[in-house]
Order: sequence, then C-alpha cells, then structure tokens
Amino acid sequence: MPNAVALKVLVVDDQESVRKMTAMTLEQIGIRHIHEAENGKKAMEIAGLQPIDLIISDYYMDEMDGLDLLRAVRGHPVVRRVPFILLTGRGDRELVVKAAQAGVNNYLIKPFTVQVLRQKIEQVMGKLS
Amino acid sequence: MASFEQLKQTFFDECAEGMQQIEQGLSDMREGLGSDDTINAVFRAVHSVKGGAGIFGFEALVGFAHVFETTLDAVRRGDLQATTDVVDVLLASSDVLSDLVQISRAGDTIPSGFGDETRKALERLLGEDSSGEEEAPADFEGLDFVPVRADGADSDEMVDFAGIDFTPVKADAFSAGPRSFEIAIRPGADMLRNGSDPLLLIRQLRQLGELELTANAERLPDLTSLRPEIAYLSWTGTLRTEATREQLQDIFDFVGDCEITINEIGGGTDIAEPVQPGTAASALPVVDAAPPVAPIAVTPPPAATPAAAAPQPKPAAPQAPAVEAPGERAAPARPAKPQATTTRIELEKIDRVVNMVGELVIAQAMLGQIVHDLPEGVSDRLSQILDEVVHHTRELKDGLMSMRAQAVGTVFQRMPRLVRETAAKVGKKIRLELAGETTEVDRSIIERLTDPLTHIIRNSVDHGIEAPDVRLAAGKSEEGTIRLSAEHRGGRIVIEVSDDGGGINTEKVLQKAREKGLVSMDAVLTEDEINNLIMMPGFSTADVISDISGRGVGMDVVKTNIQEIGGRLSLQSVRGKGTTIQFALPLTLAVMDGMVIKVGRETYVMPMSMIVECLRPPRSSINNLVGTRGMLQLRGDLVPLVYLGDLLHIGSSADLSGECVVIITDAGDGTRLGLVADELCGHQQVVVKSIEESYGPVPGVAAATILGNGSVALILDVEKLSDLAGDSSSAINAQKSNSFAKVA
Repeated sequence: MPNAVALKVLVVDDQESVRKMTAMTLEQIGIRHIHEAENGKKAMEIAGLQPIDLIISDYYMDEMDGLDLLRAVRGHPVVRRVPFILLTGRGDRELVVKAAQAGVNNYLIKPFTVQVLRQKIEQVMGKLS
Repeated sequence: MASFEQLKQTFFDECAEGMQQIEQGLSDMREGLGSDDTINAVFRAVHSVKGGAGIFGFEALVGFAHVFETTLDAVRRGDLQATTDVVDVLLASSDVLSDLVQISRAGDTIPSGFGDETRKALERLLGEDSSGEEEAPADFEGLDFVPVRADGADSDEMVDFAGIDFTPVKADAFSAGPRSFEIAIRPGADMLRNGSDPLLLIRQLRQLGELELTANAERLPDLTSLRPEIAYLSWTGTLRTEATREQLQDIFDFVGDCEITINEIGGGTDIAEPVQPGTAASALPVVDAAPPVAPIAVTPPPAATPAAAAPQPKPAAPQAPAVEAPGERAAPARPAKPQATTTRIELEKIDRVVNMVGELVIAQAMLGQIVHDLPEGVSDRLSQILDEVVHHTRELKDGLMSMRAQAVGTVFQRMPRLVRETAAKVGKKIRLELAGETTEVDRSIIERLTDPLTHIIRNSVDHGIEAPDVRLAAGKSEEGTIRLSAEHRGGRIVIEVSDDGGGINTEKVLQKAREKGLVSMDAVLTEDEINNLIMMPGFSTADVISDISGRGVGMDVVKTNIQEIGGRLSLQSVRGKGTTIQFALPLTLAVMDGMVIKVGRETYVMPMSMIVECLRPPRSSINNLVGTRGMLQLRGDLVPLVYLGDLLHIGSSADLSGECVVIITDAGDGTRLGLVADELCGHQQVVVKSIEESYGPVPGVAAATILGNGSVALILDVEKLSDLAGDSSSAINAQKSNSFAKVA
C-alpha cells in the first residue's frame, strides 16, 4: 500500500494553468512530492535525475509529446517501469489506443475531479494510504 | 502554491497567447502560406483552450472549442480541404472563441445562443456525424478497450483498466526465443488516413524480440505523384520471439485497413486478417509476392535488448515521409522559436516603480541645483558623484521603460478581424499586410492606439479601397491591400496605414468643405491642403453615412486622439493610387520632451511635439485686424496671436511692443496659432505627473511636472488651449475659415 505522502509524481503539461491545477489536485490527495515539466524532453531530464514513482503527462506538447515521452520512458534503462498516466481530451480514442499499444498504464480525461484522479492513481499504484 | 483564481488568470493569459497563434495561423492559411505545422499549431492552441476551459469550468467555452477543434482535426488529417470557404468559417470561429474567452474572463454570463450560427457552420463542414463525440465522453472507456482486456468484465467503465498491465510486453522480457514467425504487413491505401501507422506496429513487434523486415517499395510511385497520405510500402520478414501468437495478434487488434499475415515457422497456420475500414475502399491493389527491395534491420532501443540484432545499413528511406508524415506525428510543435524566459508581473507594481523613479529624477534634479549653487572648490567632488548618479538613474529609467514596453503586435493582431468583418459587410476584397509587429512601445501608448487605428483602418476599408468591379475597371487587381506597419525612427515609433485604393477625391472634399462653410468659396487650395480638410472637425465625405465609418466620429477625433498621446498625423493621397496616413508617437507618456516657458511669473511646460517654431517677431510683422488681437505675418501666412496671459488669467507684461516670444503651434491640420509668452527657459525632459486624480480635468492643462528647482510647473494642453482661445474670442473661428487664404 503506497503512502501518498511519500509518492513522487512528475506532472508534464505545457499549459501552465493546467499543470498547476493537476499539481493542486494531487496535493488534495495528499501527495507532497510533485515535480513539474513543461514538455517531454524536460520530463526525461527530471526523470533521469530524480526518483519518480508516477508520471502524469499531457499529450500535446512541444519538444516531445506525451506519446513520445511514454516511448522514451519505456525504452529507458532506469525509469522504464514507472507507471504512466496519460491526460487526454474527450473522444481522443485513437490516442488512447496508441498509448495502450505503447504501454500506458492508465488514462485520464480532462477535466477530472479529485476522486477520479485518486481512483486512476490507485488503479495503477494500488490503494493509497 | 498558486490559488485557483491565480491559475485562472494564468489560463486566460495562455488563452490570449493561444488566440494570437490561432488568428495568425488561420490568417496565414487564408493567404495560402499555411503548412502542416500551421494547422497543427492552430489545432493545438484550440485544444489547449478547450482543455483549460474544462478544468476551470467554462462549459460554453468547452462546447464551442470542441466543435472547432474537431473541424480543425478533420482539416489536419486531410478529411476536409482547407478551401477559402472553410478557412473563412474557421476564422469566424476563432472570432467567436476569442469573444467567449473575453466574456468568460470578464466573468459575464454568455448570452444563450452566442456563436450558434458559427457553430452550425462548423457542424455543416463536419457533416452529420460530427459533434456526437462530445455527448459521449465515455465512448471509448468501455467498448473500444474490450479487445485489450485480460478478463471479461465489460460494464464498469471506471475500472476498465483496473488490474490490467498495459505493459504486458516489457522490452526486456524477451530474449530471442525459440519461436519464429513469418510476418507480412501490407497496409491498405487508407491505413494512414485511418490514423494507424505501420511504423508503430513495427516498433511494437520489435519489442517482442528480434525482428528482421524487408520493405517492398514496388508500389512507391514517382516522387511527383507521391501522396504522403497513402501507405505505399509493405513489409515481410521474420520475428524470433518468446511471445505467443496471441500476443502478436494483440498488436494488430486496432489496426485499420491493413492486411496482416502471421505464419509460425515450423508449425501453426496462417492467419490472414484483412482489416477493412468501414468507409473507404482500397485505392491501391495490394501487390503480392513482391521482390524484396531493401532490407531493414529494425534496431531495438539500445538499453532494452542489447543482445538483439546488430544494426545493418539503413536503407535510404524514401518510405520515411510516407510512413511518418500524416499519422502518428500528428502534432509537431509550433515552429520552434527560441523562447525567452518570462515572468508575469502585475502592471501596478511596475507603475509604482516608474513613479518612484520619477521622484528620484526630481530629487536628483533638485540636488543638482544645490550642487550647482555651491562654491566651486566644494562642489567638484560632489558634482562628479552626482554625474554618476544621473547616469545610473537614466539607465534605471530606460530599463524600467523597456519593462513596460509592449509589442504593437497586440494591437495589430485585432486588425485582421476588423478588416475581414468590415470588408465582408461592404462586399469588398481586402488583404491586410502587417509589418513591424514586434516594434515595442510603452504600454500607455499601446492602450490608446487601438481606437485611432481602428478608425483609420475602417476608413480605408469603407472609403479607401474601391469595390471589386471599380478596381477591375481601373486596371487594378480585384483584391485591395491595406498595409499596416510600425517602426522605430529617431526615438519615436512611426505607424503607417496605407492602402492602394482610390485616394482622396479632392473635388468632392473641396465641395463638401465649401458647403459646410469650412473653406471660403474663392479660396485656392493645394491638393495637400484639400486632403487635410478631412481632418477638420465635422467633416465626413461619405455620401451616405454608413454604419461602418460614419459613426459621427471623423478623422478630426482620430487626429485629436493621436495628438493627446503626443503624436502628429500626416496624410498623403494620390488620386487613383491610394492613401497613406502616418503618425509618429513618443515611446512613452511618462517622460516627455517639453519647452519650459514663462508667462508672467508662472512657469509652464509645452509639449515639443506641438511646437513648430519659436520666434521674436519684429513689430512690423504684426497686422492688427478687426476682431483679433493681432495676426502675425509669417512667410506669407497669417497666424492669429493668442496671449497666454489672457487665456490663463495671469497678469503678464508680454506685449508685442516690448520683449516677448511667439510660439507657433500646429494642430496638425494647418491650423496654426501664435501663443504669446514672456520668456523661453529651454528645452528639457520632464516627468509627467497626472493631476486629474486630484483636481479633475483642468481646461488647458494636460498634467504637471516638477522642475529641477523643485517647483511645480503645469504642462499645457495646446489643443484645448486653442479651443479656449476660440471661445474667448471669435479670432480662431475667423482664422479657421481664412487659414487657407493666401496672403501675398
């Protein structure tokens, strides 16, 4: 049972407002260690330097989109097992399919509530304490 | 951590940036300058607006953005041709979206039915099955994932992924296993169009083990007839893996329009899976038994399976564009430009610092005065240090001003929409060219630039550019051009609006001016003088007052607006060729070039931008005409004199018989006034301090400043002074109608 307080989450989104909102929502779940990156490239840099337990990433971004980030993570010697949740818009069916093929662990449709975010994280990480 | 409200502001700031990108991109597309990058950038910007709007709870915004986004998606996928008509609908949508953002930002309720017409136009572009997606957010949560499921549960949408390891085929899970499969991948013509990408399949296969593929490029046509949205290549090869046939099949589960054959070497049977799309028929025949052309060794990710196949020479890849272009890499970034790191600061904070620097400049000037008055031996060292302080203060001021500066692009960006809408209303075809959008000027100027520019451009559209048939008859292209540009020149910003329209109809203008009594019937005017008549108050040439430019606001108001911000308007027009309106503005309103003058015992400052010249006229050049206080004969013109002492109700000894100066001012339309003052004290930069907050508007006074000796001086509003002079005597009115009368 992972402890929310100890969980280290990397939030990746090029839209500052959305990224911060995601971070705020994570805080409401009790998660304290939140790293932020504005694109996939930055995310890989952070993932290479920091211990990360979970990545929550948007799809549309400059410099490496969410899917490319997912592939980069899965192909990385150290972080390849880090669970990955993809943020998508409604009806982005093809994207979810592609992400599933590329090894995504879950997806999250924007906008989302605290409850849904928690649920998705728990599906991936196990019940949070 | 920022508050919700702050993040909302951030979101709106992002929206503003996004809207600019959308507007710019669509305008480029309209001009035929668009590329794949353009449409993708526009799509992404709309997507971001929609995403943020959802999170911050702006439902109406989400609803509209969704339909807009879906249409853009159809365009970038090539399902919808970006014809002029389509782009026009997209531009209209961008306007609606921009309005919705504005309304949401202001916190107002969005009127019901707002933008419905545009929304319907978008839906028409999309056809019937368009906006269904939105109502069914869960559409792919249940159904489409069924094939991936490990278990049979299918109804609970929230747990659809629960317990499923979406990475069943970890890259390091397999070494080259005992099984070998022969694999053939033959994409149908529509595979890429359906959003599938063979490259992805190959990558997936590669993760399962050792993959060796041969590409068959026989279907590849000449480069000239190659269409990037069609998959021409097919592949055959072998995969050595520990994975089961089922795992292999899983990879191809979602692939549309692609024929897949998996054949286990040494046992097993063929599986042929022609996956047909629901809609399109294959345009290209699938060629069987094609001879291999180039072997491809697909290298696994370096860290994942280091033991796997050694890299072989890569084929010179003509297939790369065919495979990569339309499908997977759907949204490349906006054109990569180096982005400066920025931080957002409330303007109020900057303004406070600007004020403080103003005080500093004043205190420093006072100090300078004292140092100047000290005995020489004492002041040497002090004035040396003071010089340094002066230098640093100037740099501080410049740095601060550059912080307040904004690119004129923020104003220019609103103009394409204006031109589009106005041109559509009057049935003209007009292209707007922008130049110098990055030219920076103080925020205070930017704010007051929109109205005059809007008016000038509306005028150009309404009166300047001719109707298409008139243009054609005149041997011009059907489409008119308006050019809006900005540049820095000599410490000022010069803004120019030019059109290639019919120019000003001088006969008509002169006739109108005579009818209105603005010019005497027998006055002989040069072409330039006639052109400048349109900037006189109460002048409008439109035969019928249209709802576009004839709102009772004429060029005289534009002129006044420009003058208020220290600018001067000039107009050139060539009959049949077009009109150019140009004005130069100071870079900031906080500091001004002024002439310090004395009237009686009072000191005043007059903006340099209003002054034509200062002179001490000889007694002989003053004509005393009845009803005036004197007219100055100046190079053939008669300039009415106004005594500042009278106007400002100050006892002044200034008398034309004794020592006095005359300051010739020009309101820009040729209306000159000679202001009589006692003394000129010199030209200096002054810090403008508003007095309106404390005293309300004072007629004839624009603001105040503090001079080097610590005394307060009022800055005169020359424009209002002429009005005052006009009220106090009939001199100005008499002058206005006579100003064009030449004196021999």
